[in-house]
Amino acid sequence: MDALLDVRDLAVHYRTAAGPVRAVDGASFTVPAAGIVGLVGESGCGKSTLGRALMGVLPRAASIAAGSAVFEGRDLVTLAPAERRKLLWRRLAFVPQTAMNALDPVQRLSAQMQEVLVERGGLSRAAAGTRAAALFAMVGLEAGRLRDWPHQFSGGMRQRASIALALALNPALLIADEPVTALDVIVQRQILDVMRDLQARLGLAMILVTHDVAVVAYACDRVVVMYAGRVVESGPVRAVLEAPLHPYTMGLMNAFPDLERAGGELVPIEGAPPSLLNPPGGCRFAARCPFAEARCAQDPALVEHAPDHQVACWRAPEAPALRPLASEAATWAR
Amino acid sequence: MGALIAANDLVKAFPASRSLRDMMRGQRPVLRAVNGVSLEVAAGRALGIVGESGCGKTTTARLLLRLEEATSGSVLFEGQNVSALRGAALLPFRSRVQLVFQNPFDALNPRFTIRRSLAEPLRNFGVPPDQQEARIREAMGRVRLDPPEAYLDRHPHELSGGQLQRVVLARALVTHPRAIIADEPVSMLDVSVRAGVLNVLRRARDELQLAAIYISHDLALIRYVCEAVAVMYLGRIVESGPTAEVIAAPAHPYTRALVAAVPVPRVDQDRGDLPIRGGLPDQLNQPSGCAFRDRCPLAFARCAEEAPPLRAIAPGRHAACHLA
Ligand SMILES: Nc1ncnc2c1ncn2[C@@H]1O[C@H](COP(=O)(O)OP(=O)(O)OP(=O)(O)O)[C@@H](O)[C@H]1O
Ligand code: SF4
Ligand SMILES: [Mg+2]
Repeated sequence: MDALLDVRDLAVHYRTAAGPVRAVDGASFTVPAAGIVGLVGESGCGKSTLGRALMGVLPRAASIAAGSAVFEGRDLVTLAPAERRKLLWRRLAFVPQTAMNALDPVQRLSAQMQEVLVERGGLSRAAAGTRAAALFAMVGLEAGRLRDWPHQFSGGMRQRASIALALALNPALLIADEPVTALDVIVQRQILDVMRDLQARLGLAMILVTHDVAVVAYACDRVVVMYAGRVVESGPVRAVLEAPLHPYTMGLMNAFPDLERAGGELVPIEGAPPSLLNPPGGCRFAARCPFAEARCAQDPALVEHAPDHQVACWRAPEAPALRPLASEAATWAR
Repeated sequence: MGALIAANDLVKAFPASRSLRDMMRGQRPVLRAVNGVSLEVAAGRALGIVGESGCGKTTTARLLLRLEEATSGSVLFEGQNVSALRGAALLPFRSRVQLVFQNPFDALNPRFTIRRSLAEPLRNFGVPPDQQEARIREAMGRVRLDPPEAYLDRHPHELSGGQLQRVVLARALVTHPRAIIADEPVSMLDVSVRAGVLNVLRRARDELQLAAIYISHDLALIRYVCEAVAVMYLGRIVESGPTAEVIAAPAHPYTRALVAAVPVPRVDQDRGDLPIRGGLPDQLNQPSGCAFRDRCPLAFARCAEEAPPLRAIAPGRHAACHLA
């Protein structure tokens, strides 16, 4: 597979008084040239840190400690900052976790569009005006609303505007961090439909960061499951969600209330993710995993278990037998 | 089976911020956040209230808890009208109807131990000190924080989010309430721990025969914990009935859109256009007739002229739509 983005063993650490927080600690996955990749995992597992590292917009306290991220043939980790900046907006674009952060509250939306299109994209002011209107139309906003201030927009409209802004210079990869998390279901669905529609029309690649497997099932073509700073499973959405190989993915699917599934108990994953300050050796999920064995004290590598389906679990070969057990609450109870 | 807690035609109007035009016309617009809500919940039963943000769910909860004064309408608890109670007369009601806070991370005083946080409501409601420890342990057991002594001397920052939310629930249960009202009880928690808290809520309701009201924008969650549901739109209940029936065959066009919009964790699912137009209208400029008509794919002439009342459409089911 010729990947647009190939992330290998990426590690991102935050410097803190108590020592380095290993927010991303050896993450590997690929993103094909077209389609939507869901990056899913619990709060604090490193999703936003990973997205920001790829965009080169990490906070000052964070730095890339190891690994590579080859995008269109060039390693973003070693690329000179000036070269990297040239990629921003043009090839790689970002919608941060809260849409309000993407928009400048003291500038009209038209001015923010102009800034990107004229200063970064080199368009004339007239051409920029036409393009801004077209971008607004693409995300389902009226061109007349370009004159508005961000605070005049509802949450859903702000999210649409941030997506329009990110797509201004036709990037090859859009990273959207929790684009629908704070929104009501109807608005959430409308935004996901905008993203799916834009992906299909423009043929670009998107990374959709979320903690919601239902959002992944609805909108994504591929999924990368993260746990405690690592990728534990990845592959096509159907393969991963319908026949998960990692016990954490199995647990996530069973913990999720399903509108169409009849009653029954939801199955919680007992315990909490480990601290990333001093992560345990061996499998990071072992403390919560009902299937842990002695060998799980050794680190399971992320391997291609089936074509295009990667997993980091010693017991992945037994997954078909573990899946029915994982759907019973008694298995997870301690 | 009588209702333990009931609301009768509750209305809450807030003065809206005035525009220049209103001031020149000398008008004082009001925003009816809750506009004629009636509901009832029996002991051992759970009712879910769903709807989009701004539809009046939380205000309804605050009216039921008497944290907010209703503009009109009444709240009945064990058959008694509690709307007129004031001050000390309200105390017994306060101990029997408990709120479960949404955000476990700021519901507890960070400097208090868990024991102290649980003892406080007991002290407020006059439970003698020698009975407090037993009550605290009982509540911790109900929320499956076993053994209690492993948690009671800790501070909030030493617990996980799921454990904290169980403590918040234990604090609601410690006064031996007859009813609990939970506003988005798990929305701040990770999916993997949500399930545990929901199971605990459900068991506590069954074991203690509580009347429970859950408020959420998540219909999938409501389906899991509530046998009955009320769907709110712009301050009104537009549909109610047994949750499974309402989800399987929604009678109101708004419910139909809401059900269609809920993502399910399965790859094969309907991805067609939602049967709804636009976004929530400005609360002060609601359309005439049916408040949903400007978003409704089925709207016809009568909908602009006449507001459809909430009426019985089948045993146990109600809807406010001319076509239902
Ligand atoms: N500035 C910082 N200094 C120290 N640690 C940090 C900092 N920012 C984040 N972290 C830690 O890094 C880890 C990963 O955080 P990150 O925000 O990437 O997670 P996330 O998966 O995006 O979570 P969420 O779903 O809550 O958005 C967490 O343990 C977090 O506490
Ligand atoms: S490696 Fe072991 S502990 Fe880790 S997920 Fe697999 S079985 Fe569980
Ligand atoms: Mg994040």
